[in-house]
Amino acid sequence: MKQTLLGGICVACLLLSGCEMIDYHPYDVRIDGETDINAHHIEQIERDCLGKDTIRFVTMGDSQRWYDETVDFVNHLNQRDDIDFVIHGGDLSDFGVTDEFLWQRDILNGLKVPYVALIGNHDCLGTGEETFRAVFGDPNFSFIAGRIKFVCLNTNAIEYDYSRPIPDFKFMADEAQSRREEFDRTVCCMHIRPLIDEFNNNVAEVFEYVITQFPGLQFCTAAHEHQVFQLDIFDDGVIYYMSDCMKNRNYNVFTITPNGYQHEVVYY
Amino acid sequence: MKWSIIKYRNYFAIALCLIAICHTGTATAFTPALQDTTVITIHDTLYLPSPETESIAVSPVKPSRYDRRVHRYRRHWEALIPTHTKLQFAGNMGLLSIGTGWDYGRRNQWETDLLFGFLPKYDSDKAKLTFTIKQNYIPWSLQIRQSDFSFEPLSCGLYLNTVFGDEFWVHEPDRYPQGYYGFSSKVRFHIFAGQRLTYNIPSRFRVTARAITLFYELSTSDLYVVSAFTNRYLKPKDYLSLSFGIKLQLL
Repeated sequence: MKQTLLGGICVACLLLSGCEMIDYHPYDVRIDGETDINAHHIEQIERDCLGKDTIRFVTMGDSQRWYDETVDFVNHLNQRDDIDFVIHGGDLSDFGVTDEFLWQRDILNGLKVPYVALIGNHDCLGTGEETFRAVFGDPNFSFIAGRIKFVCLNTNAIEYDYSRPIPDFKFMADEAQSRREEFDRTVCCMHIRPLIDEFNNNVAEVFEYVITQFPGLQFCTAAHEHQVFQLDIFDDGVIYYMSDCMKNRNYNVFTITPNGYQHEVVYY
Repeated sequence: MKWSIIKYRNYFAIALCLIAICHTGTATAFTPALQDTTVITIHDTLYLPSPETESIAVSPVKPSRYDRRVHRYRRHWEALIPTHTKLQFAGNMGLLSIGTGWDYGRRNQWETDLLFGFLPKYDSDKAKLTFTIKQNYIPWSLQIRQSDFSFEPLSCGLYLNTVFGDEFWVHEPDRYPQGYYGFSSKVRFHIFAGQRLTYNIPSRFRVTARAITLFYELSTSDLYVVSAFTNRYLKPKDYLSLSFGIKLQLL
């Protein structure tokens, strides 16, 4: 009796462990576990930051195929308790493979603080964008933390052959107006910044004009270039802060106070 | 046994083969116990003496050049008749793949399959079709006791899978600078290893197939290997894929 029970348990374990190993296709978009991450976390961010006059958040990105480094980032950040939320600047996956998004999601879900993820150009490969939409949500989104609006944009024009409006000016114009009474200042986040080849540079100046129409624009954040630096791209005082890739083990921290903001780079 | 039958499709040879089995059977049964252990050697292949010439009916009409050519022509095209069909579940080639293939080699240790796979849409925009070309190597086939079952302790090989759809490419489309991503999202290279259990259907029960094989495989593909290589985070359950299948041996 005991033996059959033990045997049964062994078989059941084998079957269960086997289930995780049954893969239909790298690009199958078959998703186990949490979906619509950004929506859940935005709800949490907006609730936690309501009424706060100082917001401290992290930007990082390009964690593709650097799982160990991303795990280290999560463990490092969990030792801090002064951060309100994390913005992942895109490129969670390297090949757009479904499992890559799920592995990254599972690692980042280990964060104590909520995070949102932007779409990177690598995330658009194959069925990548379809996976991104299911797991994280719409590639263009916004949220309000304290009285600051964060406008997060899909700027991976290279992936779309001009067949879709990237960046989406309609979305941007709407964001300048929607929930207008709830925010005074704006931060604009993207994966690819203007004036590098993968951006739709035909509209780079127009893009800059549209984002400067956002109420109280503070600065912009981007990722993609795998190096940490900052640039006043159009010499108009709008600073773009680029985050490094996870391989180089650092991230940006921004503290927005009622009088302005501070920026620092933290190595771990 | 099965290989001798395949090789000599000649009914005459089969008949002789059966007679030979009967003879060896009776011979061993009636061997007087001269030693306390009788060693019975079971051979996989039976080597038969060449048939006696007078028992072969030879047509008085000599085959013409044309006859010989047609014979050759038919024989060559006959080699293209698939010897088996296969159904495979999972394995990163679709939810379910179905196809056909050929076995060949001195002991039929090689197998080549062509499979079409179906992938439901799940959370993507549309369902997908995949195509797989698969090369198998089965070095050993061991008969289990004296039953109709045999066990293949290792089957291994590689397969190439391609998925149909505009969102996948072999060469990067023109919109990218040359060599920007440096991989193909359409074609995956897989390697696998597994085991098989074969039931050789006794001739009186045969309807469509001569044998049924159940198999399982563990496989991985290029993108998973490069991901696992640099990350301790990824465990075998992440980069290995389990699949099951059934093979019907038609010929």
